[in-house]
Amino acid sequence: MSSSKSEPGLNNSDEQSGTALTEEEASRYDRQMRLWGLEAQQRMRNATILVVRLRGVATEAIKNMVLAGIGKLVIVDGEDVAEEDLGAGFFFRDEDVGRKRLDAAKPRIESLNPLVTVETVANAISLQSAEFESIIETVDLVCITDESRDTLIQINQLCRKHKKPLYTGGTYGLHGYIFCDLLTHEYLAPIRGESGEAPKTVKTSAKYTSLDQALQHKWSGLTRRQTKEVNPALVFSILALWQYQSLHGNQLPNAVENADELESIANGLIQSADVNKQVLTRIPRDLMESLSVTANHEFSPVCAIVGGMLAQDILKALGGRDPPIANLFVFDGNTGSGTTIRMKMA
Amino acid sequence: MSTAQGRGTHAKAILGPELYAKLENTHVLLVGAGGIGCELLKNIVLTGFGRITLLDLDTIDLSNLNRQFLFRKKDVKQSKALVAAQTASAFNPNVKITPIHDNIKEPQYDIPWFQQFDLVLNALDNLDARRHVNRMCMAGNVPLVESGTAGYLGQVQPLLKDRTECFDCIPKPTPKTFPVCTIRSTPSQPIHCIVWSKSYLMGQLFGEDEDADAGGELDAAEKEGENAQEIDALRKEATAFKAVRDALRSPTNQDAAHLVFQKVFNADIKNLLSMSDMWKSRSPPIPLDFEGIMNGSFVLRQGANADASTSKLPEAALKDQRTLTLKDNVSLFIESTNRLADRLRNGEDTISFDKDDDDTLDFVTAASNLRSSAYGIETKTRWEVKEMAGNIIPAIATTNAIVSGLIVLQALQLLRKSYDKLRNVHLQFKPAVPLSTISLSLPNPQCGVCRDTYTVLRCDPARATLGEVVKGLLGEDEREVSVYEGQRVLSDPDWDDNNERTLESLSVTRGKFLAIVDEDGELTTLSVGIALLPDDHPADAPPFILPSPLPQPARRVKPPPPAPETPHKANGNGKRLLPVELDDGVIDMAPTPKKPKRNGLAPASVPNGPVSVGTKRKATGREGEEDKSSPSKKRRLEEEGLVVMDGVDDKLEEEPDFILIDD
Repeated sequence: MSSSKSEPGLNNSDEQSGTALTEEEASRYDRQMRLWGLEAQQRMRNATILVVRLRGVATEAIKNMVLAGIGKLVIVDGEDVAEEDLGAGFFFRDEDVGRKRLDAAKPRIESLNPLVTVETVANAISLQSAEFESIIETVDLVCITDESRDTLIQINQLCRKHKKPLYTGGTYGLHGYIFCDLLTHEYLAPIRGESGEAPKTVKTSAKYTSLDQALQHKWSGLTRRQTKEVNPALVFSILALWQYQSLHGNQLPNAVENADELESIANGLIQSADVNKQVLTRIPRDLMESLSVTANHEFSPVCAIVGGMLAQDILKALGGRDPPIANLFVFDGNTGSGTTIRMKMA
Repeated sequence: MSTAQGRGTHAKAILGPELYAKLENTHVLLVGAGGIGCELLKNIVLTGFGRITLLDLDTIDLSNLNRQFLFRKKDVKQSKALVAAQTASAFNPNVKITPIHDNIKEPQYDIPWFQQFDLVLNALDNLDARRHVNRMCMAGNVPLVESGTAGYLGQVQPLLKDRTECFDCIPKPTPKTFPVCTIRSTPSQPIHCIVWSKSYLMGQLFGEDEDADAGGELDAAEKEGENAQEIDALRKEATAFKAVRDALRSPTNQDAAHLVFQKVFNADIKNLLSMSDMWKSRSPPIPLDFEGIMNGSFVLRQGANADASTSKLPEAALKDQRTLTLKDNVSLFIESTNRLADRLRNGEDTISFDKDDDDTLDFVTAASNLRSSAYGIETKTRWEVKEMAGNIIPAIATTNAIVSGLIVLQALQLLRKSYDKLRNVHLQFKPAVPLSTISLSLPNPQCGVCRDTYTVLRCDPARATLGEVVKGLLGEDEREVSVYEGQRVLSDPDWDDNNERTLESLSVTRGKFLAIVDEDGELTTLSVGIALLPDDHPADAPPFILPSPLPQPARRVKPPPPAPETPHKANGNGKRLLPVELDDGVIDMAPTPKKPKRNGLAPASVPNGPVSVGTKRKATGREGEEDKSSPSKKRRLEEEGLVVMDGVDDKLEEEPDFILIDD
């Protein structure tokens, strides 16, 4: 397909979407192109992705996106490797403790797929700075991980200003989330259920909303079944963690003593969001207690799941086929379930 | 050992100190180091499982590198297990990984070997191995987590003997086969032609000298009632193959490829055309004219766009996705046949199809397209042929990564013995619920695998006799039994000729099972796993050690009388299918059954009979009584958002809970 402005997926800065794949690429990407097709592969190949903060979720998402063959990856993280980072950060080794995260990780990320360009920004830059804004301008999609709500809202505004789609994700112990704002996203939705022949597709457009808008969402429009289906207890637990963090100078709860406060925040949020009272009026106490103790910690299997969903969705957004998450996904590590709720989306 | 004391800080906080410490001493077997295996190994290494045994028989291929991230380009052709272990060890020096480059079905991986593990994690890609591991885990009572992925879909299922279904409790669909005559005389779809090229033609020309086998297959087909005249013609064809086989191997024959073409795409088709019955109600094939095609004068079918030279598709960016003209296919056929002939002449004994062998892929592409053209069937690109002939399942890193994380979470529940928290987890296309969980079903009382009574017999198969072993195992029990190994009957109440023979002489050796079946059908089958004597067994002691106490097979649960409902569909009981194992020459065209998605409406094909509206269901063990055909089918349908009605007049409850997500 020739490049045209109405092409679904992202508007890539690079015009070479028609370039033939090399032999190497054809072999390496064979199994995935049989799933999403050559065109989607070419769009990924032409994309530049920014990832901010290299902890467990980002480690997994980066691994997945680099393996898939995006064009360029830019990572921003000014911190050093801490011993705890070794629990989920498989780009780090014992001897890297004390070194800059990105200095340790860069060669290992590159070795996953030499066809991908990797650029790192290891000096500690503020996400409020002009320098950061200029980085945003150079990429096609922004992915922020393990960041606080208030910072996310700011960066969301910045991304909207520069018309860049935004993905955010993080984990809190056994649980995790993904939120995305893809502005107005066009994609070819496959009509599934046809075997043999290629599935038919229909061009669809989805209008996303910013995080601060989404947080205004009222749940009164949902039936009892619809409410229950999307795991409201976990959604509000995460919103409560965000609020707690905001009230405590960016600190998450880290002891069971914090459960009371977390619980009261959560129940307040449930109330003001008009959640169906037959389904949920208060968060189960044991969930509040376990989150208070574990929210500040990351766990490799959970990072793999959330990082996997995150990368998969970014690749879907790039590929322009298949509907992306709309717009808040939460993962419940107690059961393994993952649900998505539309917050203030049309 | 790791120098970083703090590497376990996060995991310890989440798991709690006892479970974290327990993991250090947990011995886990990971079967498979491929797509799921690499991701899973990474997870269990980082989580801190202290001792990991990793087994895989495969070597690394370039096409693995898009997802099997423990491998690099320089590792291609090396052992997956060895390289994976080496790469992943670096992620956590506290963990010991023992790689084994071998097939899990080998006899040395017997029940005692499996029993050294606290947990087995499957990361396999075929039904046969899955069944085998399931059996060993049921026999050895070792917890198992099963999983599978295909494209964006995936599934995780914990299995524990006596508590949950085992892998074989619900029958998996058998791979689809095609009738011999469809493949050999009357193809109607591209896949028939591909199967023909890959299995039949390649075998005839480049495979074992199989005159007897070809005859055998035809004899069997004749017995099945397939057309006798047709079978006779096919027999003649088989002998004519000998001439071209010889030509392909003769160093002086320069014309072999052309000879093959003339025989296969011209003479043989003319032969078939002579059987007018066959073509009474079918469109007959057209013999191909070599010279005519090459000089452009040959017209395949009047009016029909048989050449596909005006393709709707734009110029393909991938060479392999080009549509080939009839002439292209002829050239490719001659050219690839010559390459294969050269290989034979240079010493290769036989050549069989391998999707990664360019010569054989070219050959199968050309041959199947030529056959398709002759029969008026649409042709396929090399890209498509590779997928269909090679049984390729599209695969990406993310699905494997997600599934692997889910496997570890279920594994931890097994280790904690939190059996009420175990879940089957599915990755699905439903936007509101991309990861869906359901409670586990109880074992199927009729299961032929996990309902057996298992025991281990340590013995020297070269000395122990069938009679003494069976007598010893039955002890005081004087009931009448038949004894099997697999499908083979070794003895029954009226036939004890084998009793004096050694186990080894009956091919009952390490790793195999003797099945002692109750003639009256009152007791469950006693399944005896054969293992070796311990090293310190005295030479003068009896050549077998009976288990102590002797196994007491339980009462068999009789199957309920057949219920008055329509039998379940031929494609299985609706359970989500793992990628279906495909045998050579046999391809399953539709591994995932279509699922109607009409919330709130009873689909036309729901079986009649006693199935009730889905409500919150714990595994109470009553499933077997309610839904006699399949405990899981109801659950499966409900999982897809269907509400199963009692009958035509039943009404939907207000907002029934038909997605079972644990509260």
